[in-house]
Amino acid sequence: MSGNSAFVMVTERGWRRGLGNLLRSEFAAWWKTRQWWIQCLIWGAVIGFMLGAMIFGSPDFDPEEAIFVYAIFAGMFPAVAVVIIMQDAIVGERQQGTAAWVLSKPASRPAFILSKLAANSVGVLATMVVFPGVIAYAMLSYADGAPLALTRFLPALGVIFLNHLFYLALTLMLGTLFRGRGPVIGLSLGFLFMQQYLVGLLPILKFVLPWTLVIPLNNQNDAIAPALLTGQPPYSLIPIAAVAVEILVFVWIALIRFEREEF
Amino acid sequence: MTEASPPVVETRGLTKTYKGVQALQDLNLVVQRNSIFGFLGPNGAGKTTTIKLLLGLIRPTAGTASVFGLDIIGASVDIRARVGYLPQEPHFYEHMTARQTLDFAARFFFQGPRKAIDERVEEMLTLVDLEKKADRPIRSFSGGERQRLGIAQAQVNYPDLLILDEPAASLDPIGRRDVLEVMSRLRKHTTVFYSTHILDDVQRVSDTVVILNRGRLVAQGPIEELLAGGEGGVYLVHLRGDTEAARRQVQALPWVTRITSGEHAGEMAWQVSVSDPRAAEDQLLKLLVNGPVVVTEFRRKLYELEDIFLQVVEGGPHVRQ
Repeated sequence: MSGNSAFVMVTERGWRRGLGNLLRSEFAAWWKTRQWWIQCLIWGAVIGFMLGAMIFGSPDFDPEEAIFVYAIFAGMFPAVAVVIIMQDAIVGERQQGTAAWVLSKPASRPAFILSKLAANSVGVLATMVVFPGVIAYAMLSYADGAPLALTRFLPALGVIFLNHLFYLALTLMLGTLFRGRGPVIGLSLGFLFMQQYLVGLLPILKFVLPWTLVIPLNNQNDAIAPALLTGQPPYSLIPIAAVAVEILVFVWIALIRFEREEF
Repeated sequence: MTEASPPVVETRGLTKTYKGVQALQDLNLVVQRNSIFGFLGPNGAGKTTTIKLLLGLIRPTAGTASVFGLDIIGASVDIRARVGYLPQEPHFYEHMTARQTLDFAARFFFQGPRKAIDERVEEMLTLVDLEKKADRPIRSFSGGERQRLGIAQAQVNYPDLLILDEPAASLDPIGRRDVLEVMSRLRKHTTVFYSTHILDDVQRVSDTVVILNRGRLVAQGPIEELLAGGEGGVYLVHLRGDTEAARRQVQALPWVTRITSGEHAGEMAWQVSVSDPRAAEDQLLKLLVNGPVVVTEFRRKLYELEDIFLQVVEGGPHVRQ
């Protein structure tokens, strides 16, 4: 054995210890496997077929209606996929024993959680928001006869991504709170689909829940992303701020809870 | 290594309780540098619990412990930077190949250079004879291959302390032999702390042994001392002639605690229990040879580890805490 003198040792300290290596590994799980192109294919196809059917299949095509339908499809269905992908991030690793193996190495627990958050956020952004967004932009611009204003389109994509990030952080947090996949998926998806009823019961909740980021309640101006896409002023910016704060709270709870976890 | 070297592992009253069940109770042990420390016990004795406590994967309910003088709670990451660990059932990312797994493990310790990391990975693959399967996904590996990969990843950083939880449990006899050889070879460079229930392995390679039972330490000591029967010892003596006179002489020695006798192939066969083995080795044979008997055999009785294990697990005479 010749020792370790030939190596440059890792210098990360504290909560960042192991973060670089974990990020590399998590990004590789997205970009060096089939994951990225499968997600691109699914969401590209969903948005492409949906818009294609509206643009080319209906003689009385309404561009504004297509924009609303796009916002709903792009906002709601990928959120389900985010939950399904993320439920495996913590619970799956704990059940398979890989989390214990990784944490037997010089890696901090915050680095483990943050690497999951960062790599999956980028993966979701690229494959579920940007790639299908580019397809939608091209098709909607074609249908409109002129390019859509990027100053409207890009903020709308940002709001759609914030919606996905909410479910990503929620599922990550639930993964640190529960040991089984059932409660993590059940609570995340239950929350996703129950919001409409909750807001119906207590309308003020629309300001703190992510539902109206992408999906209208009663009329089309009730949702922020569709409003941005059509050039209307959003009914309120409070949901954006509230959801951003909720994401931070979920991540904070996940970090605290995971620090106490035993393997 | 000097006598003054601080212990690699030291635990003081280490205790772990899971929902009211004591998995580990008041464990006090010291692991010296460059030793092969065998951690022995039946299933559920607390071996894996101890290892997980040392690695910071679980927290103690009471007591303290240090590794390299660093506290297992406050400096867990710094401890793990100097440790290699093989879990009882190694689990890796199934989509990775063996080479990628070793590269991933190495990069928790080394930033670069790339060439040196690649060489270390190759060295580890060779060590465990996985070169030909290096680029296959782990999902296609057998249990033995996973175990060998586990041994490789545990050593990828040339750790100061190698912790192996049942390293030979799922290996065939050749694999077991290879693992024991690797452990013996590493003694010069590192301290090996390993748990097992395979008594033969412990007897072959360990120099210090701890036996746990139901979460409690029931025996601890150098392997030679345990195999010799604890702090005292038993000597086997075969003799003929006036054995009654010789027996009276031996019985009178202050460090002889007991003599049991029987006949073996026309000779008397004694088992002389002593409290001071050094005095027995200096004086017992001389006394007998100069007396009215002919001594045909004289040797210290060595126990099999299995005898000791069964005795201490059932509360026998070797219990020392």
